[in-house]
Amino acid sequence: MSKMFKKFEFFLFLVIVALIVFFAFSTENFFTLENLLDLLISYSFLGIMAAGMLVVLISGGIDLSFTAIATVAQYIMAIVIINYSGNLFSAFLVAGIIGIVLGGTNALLIYYLKAPAMIITIATLNLFYGFTIFITRGRWIYNFPDWFNQSHNVFSFTAADGTYYGIPLPVILLVLVFILTYIILKYTILGRKIFAMGGNIEAARRAGFNILGLTIFVYSYIGFLSGIGSVGQVLILHSVQPNAIVGRELEVIAATVLGGASLAGGAGSVLGTAMGVALLAIVWNGLIIMGVSSYWHKLIIGLIIICSVGINAYNRKRNALGGN
Amino acid sequence: MKGILNKKLLLLLGVVLVGLFLTGMASAQDYEIVHVYKIAGIPFGNVEESGVVQAGEELNVNSYQIAPTEPDPAQQVRMIEDLIAKGVDAICVTPNDPSALEPVLMKAQKKGIIVVTNEAVGQKGADWDIETVDPKVWGANSFEKFAKLMNGEGEFALFVGGLEVQFHNDWADAALVVQKEKYPNMKLVTNRIPCGESIELSFTRTNELMKAYPNLKGIIGIGSLGPIGAAEALKAKNMAGKIIIAGSVMPEQSAPYLKAGLIQTGSMMDPKKLGYSMVYIAKLLLDGEEIKDGMEIPGLGAAVVDFEEKTIRLHGVLNITAENADKLGF
Repeated sequence: MSKMFKKFEFFLFLVIVALIVFFAFSTENFFTLENLLDLLISYSFLGIMAAGMLVVLISGGIDLSFTAIATVAQYIMAIVIINYSGNLFSAFLVAGIIGIVLGGTNALLIYYLKAPAMIITIATLNLFYGFTIFITRGRWIYNFPDWFNQSHNVFSFTAADGTYYGIPLPVILLVLVFILTYIILKYTILGRKIFAMGGNIEAARRAGFNILGLTIFVYSYIGFLSGIGSVGQVLILHSVQPNAIVGRELEVIAATVLGGASLAGGAGSVLGTAMGVALLAIVWNGLIIMGVSSYWHKLIIGLIIICSVGINAYNRKRNALGGN
Repeated sequence: MKGILNKKLLLLLGVVLVGLFLTGMASAQDYEIVHVYKIAGIPFGNVEESGVVQAGEELNVNSYQIAPTEPDPAQQVRMIEDLIAKGVDAICVTPNDPSALEPVLMKAQKKGIIVVTNEAVGQKGADWDIETVDPKVWGANSFEKFAKLMNGEGEFALFVGGLEVQFHNDWADAALVVQKEKYPNMKLVTNRIPCGESIELSFTRTNELMKAYPNLKGIIGIGSLGPIGAAEALKAKNMAGKIIIAGSVMPEQSAPYLKAGLIQTGSMMDPKKLGYSMVYIAKLLLDGEEIKDGMEIPGLGAAVVDFEEKTIRLHGVLNITAENADKLGF
């Protein structure tokens, strides 16, 4: 199993390198520190959610409601910050707790109703999102206090050519989330149990695994990451918009599956997911920088996803047939 | 006994007579014109209401605005039923769902009530629909302002909300016509980019554009979040004013950006003029005047009338600047 995924990851790595070389030679400004940083900033939120999605997919589940969870968390966080002040820590705390609670709700519904996770989470997507729109009337929020609106760069400098570089908090958050997810999946018993559950849930149950506990963990985890990721997004954009996140579920799932995670469960890696996100980011970014007309973008992205997933499926089939 | 009864009768007669006299007066000049808005309490609607009231004062009619507590077509239907029962002279309505209002508006028309709508081109049951933003005029005017800020030269990019949004495409087409005809030294770097309805996408695209086109001097956008996202990108790089940013924005939201010099100029549909124009047209219709192409509406320019669609197009766009952005009330 692991050999096969190493192979796929290697293939993905080659594709990314090829794309980088291609864009680096065909444009002036692609392969620059500034662009790399901008990419990280722009895709930090997508990456954080993809890490959560990876864990859910490995466990054999799926979550389509995390974008609504992120929206709810963003709204409640914004209301708390604006009305009761607080600090960055409390912002993350509030959003994280909301995420865990809503994710946990998903898990309980999925476990006790024994309905497909996809159906349950489509329902809760509408439930959470509908409730938010009902309460907030779809209002945008942008009157954050000044301390919240100032830039939260962990590290910044101005280069010799006068370009200002800043590494904002969300980028650090992305790195931390990837490391945390990597450790959970690779080095903890919990992580191995999640793989086992996704591989064969009945076997896991008979082996005495606490399936309820594992289900609660994976859905709370994606909820938690959606919550804190959404705060990171607000730190960059300084506004909350109810329809900004919902609708991006498929983008996140596409990035995760591009990175080798299987919708059937039991397979996937943090490295692969990171590369899946990177691939999407690089293609979008490169197309704009190359000056490709916006009318072509979606078409090209679609082709790349089909090719990549096709090659992954081919690899898998070959391996299943006992080839190398 | 008899005397008291007579006194009571006389009093009653008096009241009835006065009542008749008052209603007679009302139908003569004090029309009751009511605007049914989508939902109560939202800033845009509140400003629109001030326009409805202003028109009432200027035109000497009794005009006011009502709205349901939920953005619910059923509640609007009930409100319109009540207005019909009350016998108002004209109903202006901004439907939450045009098709849901069809029967009740037809009923109002049957009772001789003038019906005027907004945001409902081709509404059945309406005498006329009024639209106060013409994307073509707005796009052309916005580009003029933008071009002046750019001194008529340099590279620029154009944001729209979506490549399939007709209104935005009309706006963008009109802007580019002005550029081609009057500002040959300005250059659109790439096709219109669909990101104007998302701050995050506009932020990302702005960063990318600055790298792809190092000489980029300006960004103009339709879709109220494009300029905001572009401004956030400049802010993150300490580049306020290095690139001219213009386009459609919500006043209150854009105020801090305009003040910080991150956005140079903005514009938006003017809710006050919208409210004003509906009452104005309703009054014209009540006076029995004819709707003519090119007729002037105070503050909203010459009307472009589509007699087939029964649509009156006006131009009520608000210029938003650092000075007025936080005083407009929405």
